[in-house]
Amino acid sequence: MDRRKFLKQSSLASSLFFVPSFVKAFEQVASTKLGYKRLVIIQLSGGNDGLNTIIPYRNDIYYKERPKLSIPKQNVLKLNDDIGFHPSLLPLKDLYDNGYLTIINNVGYPNPNRSHFRSMDIWQTGSDSNKYSQSGWIGRYLDFYGKAPYSAIEVDESLSLAMKGETTNALATLNPKALHNLSKDSYFKNISPNQNSIHLNEHNLGYLYKSMIDAKSSAKYVYERSKTVTSKKEYPNNKFGKQLKTTAKFINSHIETKVFYTSLSGFDTHANQLNTQKRLLAIYANGIATFIEDLKENNTFKDTLILTFSEFGRRVKQNASAGTDHGTSNNVFIIGEQLKRQGFYNDMPNLSNLDTNGDLKFEIDFRTIYATVLDKWLEANDKKILDKSFKKLNFI
Amino acid sequence: MKPQHIQHLYRRIGFGVLPTKLEKLSKKSRKQIINEILKTSKKVTPLKINTSEINTIINGIDKKSKLDSETRIKIQKISRKKQIELNVAWINRLSNASELLREKMTLFWANHFVCKDNNILHVQQFNNTLRSHALGDFRSFVKAIAKEAAMIKYLNTKQNKKLKPNENFARELMELFTLGVGQYTENDIKESAKAFTGYNHNLQGEFVFRSQQHYSGEKTCFGKTGNFSGDDVIDIILEQKQCAKYICEKIYRHFVNETINENHLNEMTTVFYKDYNIERLMQFVLMSDWFYDKKNIGTKIKSPIEFIVELKSTVPTKFKKHKQLIRIQKSLGQILLNPPNVAGWKGGKNWIDSNTIMFRVKLPSLLLNDAYISKTKKGENVSEIRAKKELFKKKYGKYYHTETNWNYFNKHFKNISVDHLENYLLACTISDNAKLYLNTLGKVSKQEYCVQLMSLPEYQMC
Repeated sequence: MDRRKFLKQSSLASSLFFVPSFVKAFEQVASTKLGYKRLVIIQLSGGNDGLNTIIPYRNDIYYKERPKLSIPKQNVLKLNDDIGFHPSLLPLKDLYDNGYLTIINNVGYPNPNRSHFRSMDIWQTGSDSNKYSQSGWIGRYLDFYGKAPYSAIEVDESLSLAMKGETTNALATLNPKALHNLSKDSYFKNISPNQNSIHLNEHNLGYLYKSMIDAKSSAKYVYERSKTVTSKKEYPNNKFGKQLKTTAKFINSHIETKVFYTSLSGFDTHANQLNTQKRLLAIYANGIATFIEDLKENNTFKDTLILTFSEFGRRVKQNASAGTDHGTSNNVFIIGEQLKRQGFYNDMPNLSNLDTNGDLKFEIDFRTIYATVLDKWLEANDKKILDKSFKKLNFI
Repeated sequence: MKPQHIQHLYRRIGFGVLPTKLEKLSKKSRKQIINEILKTSKKVTPLKINTSEINTIINGIDKKSKLDSETRIKIQKISRKKQIELNVAWINRLSNASELLREKMTLFWANHFVCKDNNILHVQQFNNTLRSHALGDFRSFVKAIAKEAAMIKYLNTKQNKKLKPNENFARELMELFTLGVGQYTENDIKESAKAFTGYNHNLQGEFVFRSQQHYSGEKTCFGKTGNFSGDDVIDIILEQKQCAKYICEKIYRHFVNETINENHLNEMTTVFYKDYNIERLMQFVLMSDWFYDKKNIGTKIKSPIEFIVELKSTVPTKFKKHKQLIRIQKSLGQILLNPPNVAGWKGGKNWIDSNTIMFRVKLPSLLLNDAYISKTKKGENVSEIRAKKELFKKKYGKYYHTETNWNYFNKHFKNISVDHLENYLLACTISDNAKLYLNTLGKVSKQEYCVQLMSLPEYQMC
């Protein structure tokens, strides 16, 4: 199908689809500039060992501190004279060579916390490490710019804190059909008042009804839109692969969703790290590579930005169980077609200048990345969302 | 006491009341009922699961020695399984609580003194500290919490040493546990943190004071200077009337109404500030006429746990697979023993998103009625309904492995006619549209109508 024909059909289709009136009402208020730029966030849970992901293969300290864990020079996928990828990242090498990948090193925050829960919490809420927030950064983006629950979708069973705002929450679904089935029971439709009912915002019960009506129409919209697309791509047969497949389906069906969130867990490699990380990085890289091919074939890659992070990196020195303990700063991957700084955004960590715990010192606050993405990609007011002004980086 | 007021009381201090009990209670006065509630809650029954496997490991290790990583990982592994067991035991406790108010308060405090840990012994001990202080003296409560192993780990008091202070606990003590944001200076935090240096614990979870790591010099906080201990700092904080006000505010929001009434709050603060006695504060609240004001009845959104427990108390439901009960909590957005962070769950409207609301209205039928909500019209043949239901059951199968005790429901609702069922199951009146629709349907049986009512958003109110 050529592009013009497609556009024609899809605009026809969208007018046929049920667009709830409250969405329309909302549209007039929210100041959104829709360029259909989409953000995909991938969370590597457990603390991925960044130093064995992006490897300083000529650094003696690296080999000295990790006699059992370091990746031998000959196995490293060399990117330049000093740095290379973990062998499992072979599929990412293409992206790197094509200028689709930016690696930002030494990303962290002041006074790092080495607890998974807490550090993930800081990353998801975007708070200072001594503050606690009950809303997430994407959730707050939705507070200001969301049009419907499906403005942001977490491809999972339930919502992460990152996706919960002060007043607006995202939608979570692993399987749009299941969500739709859950909500389509005619009982729920029949008990609901008209969407324009004035009582819907008045009190808590009204809010429950409104949320139920929103949920039903969102589930219907997401399901009916996404079922128009069938992916021809063969994704790796694991949960992460399925999540990416679903995400691609959403994107390629052009649903009006600005942010997608998904995660891959198991990176907490205190013991026997080599095999675990090898397996997980392969899942990540193979999934991502297929995902990008899928988007490219549908001409949606150019408007998609993928951000990959983990709550912390790991200690430079290996521990006694052939693993590594919780560390601090880490690398962040930005993938997209419209990158300004391709390859390495900044220098690798300085292994001879560690903090008192033997951990890497951070250089780039993760919130400057958020601010940049919010401002330059989502065209949102980052200061309002992050409750603080952060300088912008120039990777996009 | 008016039945409607008794129902309101029990929805807030417990998880609803069955008609059989309501009938007995309605012959009593408010004072009698509340005194009985307080009296039965005097008793403390610790919540304990079998932890012998870990006890054996820990008792075999010298108290002073450190854990090797292999043992630590082993303990964590067992703990993970045991946390599920404790979670389920806690929910079962809530569904059959004899010390009702104490248990409801324990649940409340668990979202005030928010903590999370990966050692089951310390988690269980913390939970029982909440329980034993739930209706006691707030002063000793705060002091006990500061010395809990799980808290010492969670807010890094362990890393708070004289030469390298860690302010995490001192900050949250003021911001979240006692005073509220902005009611202290950064210097108060810095100085108070010094008072908590040396706080530590052993493997068994007992409090250990490491005097060589304690900063024993002078500290100045809230305008007072002295060689303060952690307990002293807590005393100084509690001297601030703001502390009493902050706690009363939280109790008001949780038990009365999310919107504060300043007059009621002031009354409560005066009562609480006198001696920080939690039981007396609750007695005052529950005895107050304003507690039973119309605007306070049926206007709160149940927490996921309140929702599950009330459902379980009405129609007892046993989960054959514990993990399914955990998953349900996850889908609803509140897993006991697993709060999002030290600020806890925000509650109210924040419980609700597209997924949780759909799951809430669908769950009763999923658990109790093979996912079936009757839509039988008035006058339709009952045998047709049965056939329809069978078909539905076959199609959607049975996802949850539960044992449902409808006999219990039937026994306790025996004297209630199907037409009056909503007065016992719902805290608020049914909205117009739902009422209109329900009127077109036949009330096939008490059981079917119960599921229909529980599938309304109205059932989410308390």
